[in-house]
Amino acid sequence: MEAIVIIFISALISLFLGILKKPTLVMVVSIAGLAIGAIVQNYEWYFLNEKYQLLDFNDSNIQFLNLAVTLTGIIILSGYKHFMDEPATIGDFSALMLFSLSGGLCLIGFKDLFMFFLGLEILSIPLYVLAGSKKKSASSSEAALKYFYLGSFATALLLFGIALVYGTVGTFNIEKIGFISMLFTDQLPSMFFVGVLFMLAAMLFKVGAFPFHFWVADVYQGSPSVFMTYMSSVVKLIGIYAFYRLFGMMFPGVETFWTTLIVIAIFVSMFIGNLSALNQDTFKRLMAFSSITNGAYALMTVLTYKSGSDALLVYMVGYGFSVVALMTINMLVNDNDDKLSSLAGIGYKNPLIGVVGIVALLSVAGIPPMTGFFGKAMVFYQAFEENMWLVSFALLNSAIGVYIYLKITMTLMKKDDNAAVISLNWSQQLVLSISLLALLFGWTILYF
Amino acid sequence: MELLIIPFALGLISFIVPKNNIRFFGLIGSLVPAVLTVFHLSGYTPGTLTEVFSIKEDIIFGLTFTMHYDGIALLMMLLTAFSFPLIFLSNYNRELSSSPLFHALAFFMQTGLFGVFIAGDGVLFYIFWEFTLIPIFLILYWFGNGNYTTLVKFFIYTMVGSLAMLLSLIWLKQYAVSFAYGDLIAAQLSEKEGFWIMAGFMLAFAIKIPVFPFHTWQPNTYSTAPMAGTMLLSALMLKMALYGMIKWMIPLAPEGLANMKWIVVVLGIIGIIYGGIIAIKQTDIKKIFAYASISHLGLIAAGIMIFSQNAISASMIQIINHSILSIGLFLVAEVLISRTGTQDITQMGGIAEKAPKFAFWFMIITFASVSIPFSAGFIGEFLLLREISQFKLSLGILAASTLVFGAIYMIRAYQLSMSGHKENLQFADLTWNEWVVFCILGVLALIFGLAPYLIGDMVKESALQLTYIVAN
Repeated sequence: MEAIVIIFISALISLFLGILKKPTLVMVVSIAGLAIGAIVQNYEWYFLNEKYQLLDFNDSNIQFLNLAVTLTGIIILSGYKHFMDEPATIGDFSALMLFSLSGGLCLIGFKDLFMFFLGLEILSIPLYVLAGSKKKSASSSEAALKYFYLGSFATALLLFGIALVYGTVGTFNIEKIGFISMLFTDQLPSMFFVGVLFMLAAMLFKVGAFPFHFWVADVYQGSPSVFMTYMSSVVKLIGIYAFYRLFGMMFPGVETFWTTLIVIAIFVSMFIGNLSALNQDTFKRLMAFSSITNGAYALMTVLTYKSGSDALLVYMVGYGFSVVALMTINMLVNDNDDKLSSLAGIGYKNPLIGVVGIVALLSVAGIPPMTGFFGKAMVFYQAFEENMWLVSFALLNSAIGVYIYLKITMTLMKKDDNAAVISLNWSQQLVLSISLLALLFGWTILYF
Repeated sequence: MELLIIPFALGLISFIVPKNNIRFFGLIGSLVPAVLTVFHLSGYTPGTLTEVFSIKEDIIFGLTFTMHYDGIALLMMLLTAFSFPLIFLSNYNRELSSSPLFHALAFFMQTGLFGVFIAGDGVLFYIFWEFTLIPIFLILYWFGNGNYTTLVKFFIYTMVGSLAMLLSLIWLKQYAVSFAYGDLIAAQLSEKEGFWIMAGFMLAFAIKIPVFPFHTWQPNTYSTAPMAGTMLLSALMLKMALYGMIKWMIPLAPEGLANMKWIVVVLGIIGIIYGGIIAIKQTDIKKIFAYASISHLGLIAAGIMIFSQNAISASMIQIINHSILSIGLFLVAEVLISRTGTQDITQMGGIAEKAPKFAFWFMIITFASVSIPFSAGFIGEFLLLREISQFKLSLGILAASTLVFGAIYMIRAYQLSMSGHKENLQFADLTWNEWVVFCILGVLALIFGLAPYLIGDMVKESALQLTYIVAN
């Protein structure tokens, strides 16, 4: 609760500080806001342990809050250079990201459908703006427009679904809905199932899974790199966790109805993501398709909601930091033409970039001993008992994924003496080092 | 634990050692793990399971940090530790020896190999198994001759196998308390499940060994790799898979052994004949040795599947022998290639006149490779063939063709490259480091040929325990 307030206030402050056109100051305020917010929230969770009606951070979700806040913080750091280039709008950018995050935190802690919807809207609306923030670029405007239209459509579906569910059960509280769906499974009217279906469609849209994945590639490619990183790490994390809580807590009674649909969505998404990524030659588009695949793997935790969210947490540590590291490297090399080939030899000539790049790519490919491996293994391990074939195909997809990431690794690490030596500033070094640590030891998050 | 930390630390130190001292550092540094394993050997009682460093609690999703070794694992550790000085020494006067990166990667690979052999937990085994792939891939990528398609094929092939192994491990865990070795062994499976779980492991191992239909990555990878990379691959990396078969695959899912035995034995024997015939027709010297390797390893894989005490001991003798041979053979290949500038043996010839020392040692390695009596190969192959014949006589007879094929392709390779007379041939004889490596290898092959009980005694008890686990 406190975290949302503090982050919101720091967003407001940085919005007005934007007038001074001092990027460093805005940066410091935003990151300080994030840090204080997270610390206060952790303090409250650990010592005071207060309970709220609509929104609660407790043992089960505090780590997701910490992860989301940390990722946002280092994304702001990694975007430092980007912000420096446009000092006039720095306040807007960082404020919008923080607004979006505070909506995201509602989505992590919600106990009520009202809060859920509010959070989802606060999360999404700044994103529509951020996607189009590179005003002179046509593809950025296209991304914003596309995202906005499709996103509003999905929101409408979600709202309609919520209305139908509310019409059936007469409450917004997700635990009560869960009870009712468990107790009166046989007596639920078809209206309820239509509601579940609509909510499912909207959530699949938000996490970019089949059959609502079409927007992902264009929107991710069109958006500026910083915000694309934010979308594919933080928003993905929050979306899937919200999905997990929503369906795991609200509809356990009608499980058979929605698990089948999600299994199909996962199965197709994995293949779509991987097969589309095979022949991409632009980095951001490749990462967009990779995010479809990785989102599909992470969605398996929704199926195994009974086993808890540890697997999702570790998986998202691995995936989130990989994306941040890779996008930071990509931002260093090319921001406009975005060609994969321009990465050639960069990792070989710059040791830090090379090490982080290899670790991040191996992690996202699921090769031990990186965090990505632990996440993937945990997700698959949990899902294996009930969905053996799905896991088998997921492993097959991992093999295709290895090919995709191996190609990038080989480009990045090419023995090329003419490759550029890139000087990193402190923020980029910090981002890369934090990512490296998180990718190597991130799975220990379960012990905190 | 120091078995993992020391090689890893050596790897890190390699980056800061000055470039002109790095080869010396590599050579001396690689002796440290060797001394360490000897130290472990001195404290080892045959038949026991020595704990190395263990956290027995469930760390993450059933993964425990159990590490231990038995006689078989200890022998593999010794093999790993002593191969590295030999590989560095044979590499001593080559271009690669001045690269800190190469030494660091090689040491990282040694860390992974030690990890594989001391892992006492399924997932830990998998983690180290995969970990070894990363350094070797980078070595091949940076220091090979730049055939990237081959490399991608190699990497993807092995990854597909590994993922099948991961699937099998996850499946097996459904019946076990944790991933610890003892718990996985205690899991009770039906015959059908046992077969499929074993199939997952077998795919991973068959690709790495490589057994017949999965071998296509190997010859090209060998011929594109730098010498040290090929040695690491064939002397150590492939042995990991054979070790995995003995220690992990069969004891973990013995229910599937009865059905799987036939498949692997037959594939292994096809590999023996197929590899032998192809090797006879090859002209690229590295490819001859690569196909010879397929042929030899097919025999070992078939022998392991028999899984009697003698078969395991014989396989271990043959594993050690093959490692000695492959370091020797690929050094021979490198000497020939770097001094004649071609990989084609039909264009060589007359070298024996110019380089008598080299001719002598090549001959010794050739003899060891065709398993004449008093070489380590003789006793190993003889025992393996005997075990296969007891399983099925006709298969034993087919497998025995390895002796014939081996003699043909090795002596052909020797004859075409070394004998005859060629005008105006420039060929420098062995340098001191090559000579030392050949001496050590030759002496080792002779020692293990005369006294195979040195290896046999170490693994006998552990092998008995494994067969006991499988029988019950």
